[in-house]
Amino acid sequence: MLWIALELPALPLQVAQRAGAAPDPLVIADGPAQRPLVVCANEAAREAGVREGQAVAAARALATQLRVLARDAHAEREALERLAAWAGQFTPMVAIELQGLVLEIESSLRLFGGHATLTAAIRQGLRELGFHAAMGIAPTPLAARLFARAEARGLAVRACLRLEDLAERVAELPLFLFDWPAKTLAHLTDLGVLRVRDALALPGDGLARRFGPAVLLDLERLMGRVADPRLPYEPPPRFHGKLELPAEADGVEALLFPLRRMLVELEGVLRGRGCGVQQLTLTLEHGRSQRTRLGLDFASPEREADFILAIAREKLGRLALPAATCALVLSADALLPYAPRSAAWLPGPRENAVDRERLVERLAARLGRDRVFGIAMADDHRPERATGVRPHLSLKPGTQSELRSRGAIAPQVPNSDCVPGFSGVTPVISRPLWLLQSPRKLITREGVPTYQGELTLEAGPERIEAGWWDGEEVCRDYYVATNPMGEAFWVFREHRDLQAWYLHGVFS
Amino acid sequence: MRQSVAELARLPGVWRGGELENVVHATVATGHAPLDRELPGGGWPTGTLAEVLHDGVGIGEVGFLAHALAKASEGERLIAWIHPPHVPYAPALAALGVPLERLLVMRPASREDALWAAEQAMRSGACGAVLLWLQGLRSAHARSGARRDDEYAALRRLQMAAESGRCMAVHFRPASAEKLSTPAHLRVSLAREGPALMLRIPKRRGPPLAYPIAITAGWQRRFAVTPAHGDVTPAHGDVTPAHRDVTPAQAGAQFPQQELAKNIHRVRAFSIVR
Repeated sequence: MLWIALELPALPLQVAQRAGAAPDPLVIADGPAQRPLVVCANEAAREAGVREGQAVAAARALATQLRVLARDAHAEREALERLAAWAGQFTPMVAIELQGLVLEIESSLRLFGGHATLTAAIRQGLRELGFHAAMGIAPTPLAARLFARAEARGLAVRACLRLEDLAERVAELPLFLFDWPAKTLAHLTDLGVLRVRDALALPGDGLARRFGPAVLLDLERLMGRVADPRLPYEPPPRFHGKLELPAEADGVEALLFPLRRMLVELEGVLRGRGCGVQQLTLTLEHGRSQRTRLGLDFASPEREADFILAIAREKLGRLALPAATCALVLSADALLPYAPRSAAWLPGPRENAVDRERLVERLAARLGRDRVFGIAMADDHRPERATGVRPHLSLKPGTQSELRSRGAIAPQVPNSDCVPGFSGVTPVISRPLWLLQSPRKLITREGVPTYQGELTLEAGPERIEAGWWDGEEVCRDYYVATNPMGEAFWVFREHRDLQAWYLHGVFS
Repeated sequence: MRQSVAELARLPGVWRGGELENVVHATVATGHAPLDRELPGGGWPTGTLAEVLHDGVGIGEVGFLAHALAKASEGERLIAWIHPPHVPYAPALAALGVPLERLLVMRPASREDALWAAEQAMRSGACGAVLLWLQGLRSAHARSGARRDDEYAALRRLQMAAESGRCMAVHFRPASAEKLSTPAHLRVSLAREGPALMLRIPKRRGPPLAYPIAITAGWQRRFAVTPAHGDVTPAHGDVTPAHRDVTPAQAGAQFPQQELAKNIHRVRAFSIVR
């Protein structure tokens, strides 16, 4: 077994600053309401002399511009949980610790090409998420945690990959790295037991009698002599993330950076579960109760952060925000199985289909869903009903009814009748390429229809009589006609009134 | 010297003034042999922007490309129609052999959206052909001045996008645009003269074409029934309509109802009642 421990120092501050670091001094306060204490302070506050453990009142005296945030233990826990879910892409065995995670990686080493590559990937990923963490590698989880904590405190440590080396590598680590009670640590210090080496040299039964069995158990677990089982974190089958912005953001551009962080996190979570999302909701919170909801729908489950970001960018660009944004909430209710795509040298039909879908989605995101559509033929002889607008590709069924209710561009035909490529009717005369939405009555001069000049009949008639069964009967004779400019039109006259000519289509 | 010039002429994008370019990008046959002969590479270019100049809708400006469009959609690629003057009519396209399920029609609200959509479609590689109309589209930012430069720059972007997506990009413009310079590699100007479609090629990679080419395209190609015969004749390009001079006023007189009934293709409505 080989473990990586991630230790997130100053977690409350990291959670507060994920959406972007503020240049002003900032502290996180916790403790009784009458006398809150500083838990973490950012760089600017430290420069002003603020230290952890100070009273907030004292810190305010040191830094005049100080911003004080109350510690949000719930948000910290959530951040750790999402981080654990994100880390699920590296190994199935992820456990949440006090201020960090432990990951069992031995089984993943082959996949990622060695521990160096894997740790580099984790570091890179954490940076994209907006976290920074100290890392330790050791054959036991406790040792890994001690290494990580030592690194977080600036002590020199070396990774340990084999159990045989462990005793030597942990020997010099100070005992205060353990989660032991302050009283125990003080007592040990008084005895001159400062390092792991010293503690290991003491007789075990005496140690247990004096400081309690927990201390002895920790030492045994550290050395791998006693099993140290961890429960793997089981992420919920949905995603919900919230990111508070450091300052209210006015435009849309300012939202993209924090949004990308959330999407990268989402991608990791989905990768860990082998899932994708098809519906994603982005909520922009403006102040107290005002919010803007933005739905992102995809034709097939997606998870790549940059792709989703590109879609969101187009959608956000069309939005008029009522007020400045102070927080982003990203949620997905259903995580669906995702079929990963391989980067092929010569793209096959599958990749092409994906490219097509992505193109249509990108286009629909900017132009609007009802402005991008396909065309289908329907089984009807009436020319205006023989064609229909088809919501393109695999947009969901809901979209079509939406389209119809908005009174889309061309008459809608029920999808069941719309068979792409259907060619049941073989027209005797060729059909025009452009069909007008509704026939236009032509001006006749001495019985001769005109449209940008006198029309000459070239071919016809083709009689179309249909629709008596649904009350929208047509009874027309269609002709091909040309005007002096050479444009060809599809015109008809109705049986009822042979003098009235209508323009129905334009050849091309 | 002579040898090195000959070598130069073999470089992609280099050609002698009097010859057609030895093209590097693929072409698709338009189905009109006289036209194919005059196009560099023996067909309509893909991977580059081409312009079709015409006045008036319905002179066969899309129809003459139907064969090329069907070819360009091979390999499951889409045919994008950006801001066409009307919605394309499915049965006509099906009859021309264009696969309907690959059509993607867009109705952008502004000029910027249309150009953006065209660029996305061309660059994506998912589209075999992109047909673009810009007439009648307003710019989202109402602003005049420097339009001509903007236009050139926008078309230049499209040219690059078409190259990278190896896409057949056709921009339909009014004939008056012939005065404007263009980054497109090919420019074809259309005019109708009776039954024939006259093509001029004001710009191509090679010498300008001296004489117009006449092709038959549009509705005549599939002309099947003439009132005189009433019989179905095989669809061919060179069938000339028999009754060119019949005016509608005469039509009624010439073809009384009885006569008409013989020729009418009566639709059997019963077969499709469900």
